[in-house]
Amino acid sequence: MSLLKLENVTKRFGGLIAVNKVSLEISKGEFVGIVGPNGSGKTTLFNVISGVYFPEEGRVIFDGLDITTLQPYKRAPLGLGRTFQIPRPFASATVRENVAVGAMFGSLSGKVGVDESLEIADQTIERVRLQEHRDKPAGTLTPVEKKLMEIARALAMKPKLLLMDEAMAGMHPNDIDHMVAFIKQVAVEEKIAIVAMVEHIMRAVVGMAEKVIVLHQGSKIVDAPTKEALEDPKVVEVYLGHPPEE
Amino acid sequence: MKKEITKYYPLIPVFAAYLVLFLIGKNISGMWQLVAMLLFYCAMGQAFNIFLGMTGYVDFGYVAFMGVGTYGMALSITNLAHIEGLGIGIIIIGFILALVMSTLLSMAVGAVALRLRGAYFAIATIGVNEGFRFLIEGARIWNGSEGLIFTAQLNQILGREGASSLMTFWADIMVLIIAALAAFVTLFYMRSKIGYALTALREDEDAAKVMGINVTKYKIIAFITSACFAGLVGAASWALKTPYVFPPEVFEIHYTIEAIIIVLLGGAGTLLGPVAGGLIYGISKYYLAIFMPGFQLLVFAPIIIIIIVLFPEGVVGMLKSRTKDSVLARFII
Repeated sequence: MSLLKLENVTKRFGGLIAVNKVSLEISKGEFVGIVGPNGSGKTTLFNVISGVYFPEEGRVIFDGLDITTLQPYKRAPLGLGRTFQIPRPFASATVRENVAVGAMFGSLSGKVGVDESLEIADQTIERVRLQEHRDKPAGTLTPVEKKLMEIARALAMKPKLLLMDEAMAGMHPNDIDHMVAFIKQVAVEEKIAIVAMVEHIMRAVVGMAEKVIVLHQGSKIVDAPTKEALEDPKVVEVYLGHPPEE
Repeated sequence: MKKEITKYYPLIPVFAAYLVLFLIGKNISGMWQLVAMLLFYCAMGQAFNIFLGMTGYVDFGYVAFMGVGTYGMALSITNLAHIEGLGIGIIIIGFILALVMSTLLSMAVGAVALRLRGAYFAIATIGVNEGFRFLIEGARIWNGSEGLIFTAQLNQILGREGASSLMTFWADIMVLIIAALAAFVTLFYMRSKIGYALTALREDEDAAKVMGINVTKYKIIAFITSACFAGLVGAASWALKTPYVFPPEVFEIHYTIEAIIIVLLGGAGTLLGPVAGGLIYGISKYYLAIFMPGFQLLVFAPIIIIIIVLFPEGVVGMLKSRTKDSVLARFII
């Protein structure tokens, strides 16, 4: 059974159709890349899955449960975690407190106390190697550290599915390789399905995704194993334009 | 067990400040009036901090909760004074009524206004205070604009001596107890899930939602708690100290502004902040009025601006980051 299933999801903003009849399925533990140029509807799709917007049409089913119009805060405890394109730390709180919030409110059991959350936070922070910064306010971290912290915060939620919004944007290639390896390892160990949204950095997608979904102007144009998808003429066209006529 | 106790260390400086205030007022003649004023400011700051400081939402109608608290106490005294044998029980019922009335009003206001965010919330709440005042005056609720005067009833309940010592001393002690209780509740919230949820939603409400936090629930918890303490402060400091209540006096937006200044001056969201803010604000206001009568506001405004510019996180916020790695860190939050 699939973990996440979207059935003909449509989201409009006035006359603009941001997401147009998109259907897709993500299985447990699967690593999927969502690719598409600027304005193709990736972020809107993420927002529909995490509950920031409710779709006008279609259904969102997570783990067998219809969550189409479920409040976002009720989705996290079901096992739906998310990171943001521009990291959104709770700036005045320490890294440790930030990660503890993930454990406290986002965990499946729903009844994790403060002390236990702080312990989970410590373990998770060690995993992403941020222990030196544990007691610093999250607002003082560098952008890369903030990204790591967001990942730690999401992992502390013990998610079944992690939505990663442009996790690699703006990072040094070496950091990307390190990050990709780390995420892949965690995903395998904890059987987390990952949906990573990628705009430009294809090397990250190629490195980790088993499957790639390509969006263009709100519609899904390709849904195939990574290699196949990236060689698809439609994808090439979306990214590079029409081939020159003979 | 030891860990449980160390959690409450930050209350030590707060309670120490209150103790020093009490001792100064009790032992130096002529100081009690100043001390009473300072206690009032600290209590108001401590109560408002639970909402303003912890959620980051600015409520311009805050004084309304103090107002209905005052009416709660006033109604209890005016309506129950004729019953023989209730005695001091009437005061206790008054506090309970103040609690109930401020809770009900905060639930009504919160249910509507807390759906709004940031500046929109602030604008909406300005109307609450004025609206409530005109409702009481216009609809002649609780004697309308004529207010309630209950000096006679207070004398009847406690005797002339008792009533006078209540007005000049015990009412202030009650304010002190309320301030201490508010500090305790603040720290309890900070150390529990509620505090983590409030910090998260103050910093980034949308991210907090996605992290699984029911932001509406926690905002309402903070709002109601804060309003309850405001009601108690009103009941003790306004109804018992001066046994009369007139709508224009208790629904005076001026007090909301003072509360906001105290919280921001001391450090929003810190435990010790309202005490520091209350003391700085109260002492400067008192002595400026003595030494520069007529010019006090002209001098006072720049002082506040300078403090806010120098310490954007408030005085305690600054202390907190200065003492981060020292032994003091566990006492100052």
